[in-house]
Amino acid sequence: MDMSQYRDLFISESREHLGRISELVVGLETDSGNRETIDALFRVAHSIKGMAASMGYAEITELSHKLEDLMDRVRKGTLAFNAGIADLLLEGSDLLNVMVNDLAGGGSGCSDIASLVERLVTYSPDGDSATPRQTVAAPMETASEEAPVLAAEVRNPPIKGGELQQTVRVKTQVLDRLMNITGELITNKHGLVTVAREVASERLDDTVNDLSKLLRELHDEVMQVRMTPFAAIADRFPRVVRDLAKQSGKEVAFEVVGKEIELDRGILEELSDPLVHIMRNAVDHGIELPAERRAAGKPPKGSIRLVVSREQDMVVVTVEDDGRGMDPARLIAAALDKGLITREEGERMSPREAFMLTCIPGFSTAREITDVSGRGVGMDAVRTKIQGLGGFVSIESEAGKGSRITLKLPLTIAIINVLLAMCGRLMVAVPVTNILRTLEIRHNLIFSQDRRKVFYLDNEPVPLVSLNHLFGGPSAPFDSDVVPLFLSEIKGRKVGLTVDRFLGQREVFVKPLGRPLTGLRGISGAAMLGAGEIVFILDIANLT
Amino acid sequence: MGLKVMVVDDALFMRNMLRGILEEAGCEIIAEAADGMEAVAKYREFRPDITTMDIIMPVKNGIEALSEIIAFDSNARVIMCSAVGQESLVHAAQAAGALDFIIKPFNPERVTEVIKSVAGN
Repeated sequence: MDMSQYRDLFISESREHLGRISELVVGLETDSGNRETIDALFRVAHSIKGMAASMGYAEITELSHKLEDLMDRVRKGTLAFNAGIADLLLEGSDLLNVMVNDLAGGGSGCSDIASLVERLVTYSPDGDSATPRQTVAAPMETASEEAPVLAAEVRNPPIKGGELQQTVRVKTQVLDRLMNITGELITNKHGLVTVAREVASERLDDTVNDLSKLLRELHDEVMQVRMTPFAAIADRFPRVVRDLAKQSGKEVAFEVVGKEIELDRGILEELSDPLVHIMRNAVDHGIELPAERRAAGKPPKGSIRLVVSREQDMVVVTVEDDGRGMDPARLIAAALDKGLITREEGERMSPREAFMLTCIPGFSTAREITDVSGRGVGMDAVRTKIQGLGGFVSIESEAGKGSRITLKLPLTIAIINVLLAMCGRLMVAVPVTNILRTLEIRHNLIFSQDRRKVFYLDNEPVPLVSLNHLFGGPSAPFDSDVVPLFLSEIKGRKVGLTVDRFLGQREVFVKPLGRPLTGLRGISGAAMLGAGEIVFILDIANLT
Repeated sequence: MGLKVMVVDDALFMRNMLRGILEEAGCEIIAEAADGMEAVAKYREFRPDITTMDIIMPVKNGIEALSEIIAFDSNARVIMCSAVGQESLVHAAQAAGALDFIIKPFNPERVTEVIKSVAGN
């Protein structure tokens, strides 16, 4: 029997199961007698074993079989679940992950399992067979290798009667192509609208209107299909927090709320690393050691909550901890020390702005670099990534009480709303999610300060940057009486970006720039407008 | 064979594989279920000629589902799917009314043989 046809399905279904192991193990660590979780762990190992045996992957079969046996002993009550078993199970799932990833990369899925198998078979609670776990290189990998991944499930509306399957699996590449074609259609429609305007035919107008409505529907449906629940990346987080807490000798209860909230697959994939980084910070810098917490009158076990929610057309992700919080004065002092801000700027800073200092490249207040976090790339990398996705980062904190990092993200990245603006002869598009507000200021309200142009907004000086100048246009901006500008955030600080004039808002299909334009600073992609003209999409985070 | 078969297994992988083998043998897969509860509901709805039933499943295991199906239709023809080393479960299933069993990993010939023999009963 030709089994190769089932290979992709084996890989994707095994990954789903492996993703659950961490979550289940971490769950059992807090509630070790939970019958359902114990049964579920047993079933996961059993399922992987059955599938691997069918595929003829001997090592995966054997290792999952031994994990199943260990869980069977727990299930039957001959072994009580404890930290040693947790470590063995996690080590097993790490190793299985490596083997499955190897298969996905075209390898044979073989690995040296002898030592672990030996320890699984001989495990007893007295003899410490769970020697310190070696961290296997790739447990954190998400399913984003080049091999086609069957990740998304497409939901069909339930149909009564003879309908057999209500979900089908679709290759994610197919979804990407669908999105691409829809985007091209929208670009094409803009072209038709332009022609219709020239021809001035009522019948053509009507047809184009109908087409627009259908395209909107198509776009909505395609978007819907690409939506993936947050759980797709969240399932590995409990494990991440657990491991980090163990390494730093801290006790942390971790909770994820809103796993069912859906986001575009493209955004979700990009979100994992920044979130891991934020949780790393929370464990390492936020949560105190148990003794310190007790002394401060807090429960010894800290808490980290990851909450996902929908707010209109944005998704809000917050990570909150009940740790030591941040002190704005200390942050300002550190920034002064490093020459990142002037004394005057420091004095004027609100607590909110002070917290955002952590997002400036090169800023780190960790007194020492630890294994867990603080290697120079910190919140600035997080903020750059989130802004690149068209989102915003904000930070709240109270000394002694804890911190909350909030990420606001658009639901989708490929088809976005932009504000078109002229800068000299160059037309640029600014994602509306990057714009705090647009305004016009009189020329005489622009001042020079430290050789920089600023204007005052709510009594705070806001630096002005001319986009025209930035893109090498004539450096004689502000020649008209009023200057149009939009307010955005660059490196955590408010900046006014001036343009010659605004042309209005438009929905565009963003395409990445191909070689040799990939490295263009401040440009994240391009889109085509109705008449075929190409407009560049501003990458606000990397503009200066 | 033209038999109408329902495939019950919590792994999509296993369901697809059995579907492949059974369709090759001329069966028609009229329903699939991913746990015992769904299996019982779909049995009532689709009334398959033959049901292949995995044992270790979430929500409701295969033996519980089998018992409920037999209670609903004492002539139900159910084949259990089990892994090596689950002999005691297979015995329990046969006591509960399963007609035969197939062992994972599936051998296509053995699957076809068992289906034929159960269909002939």
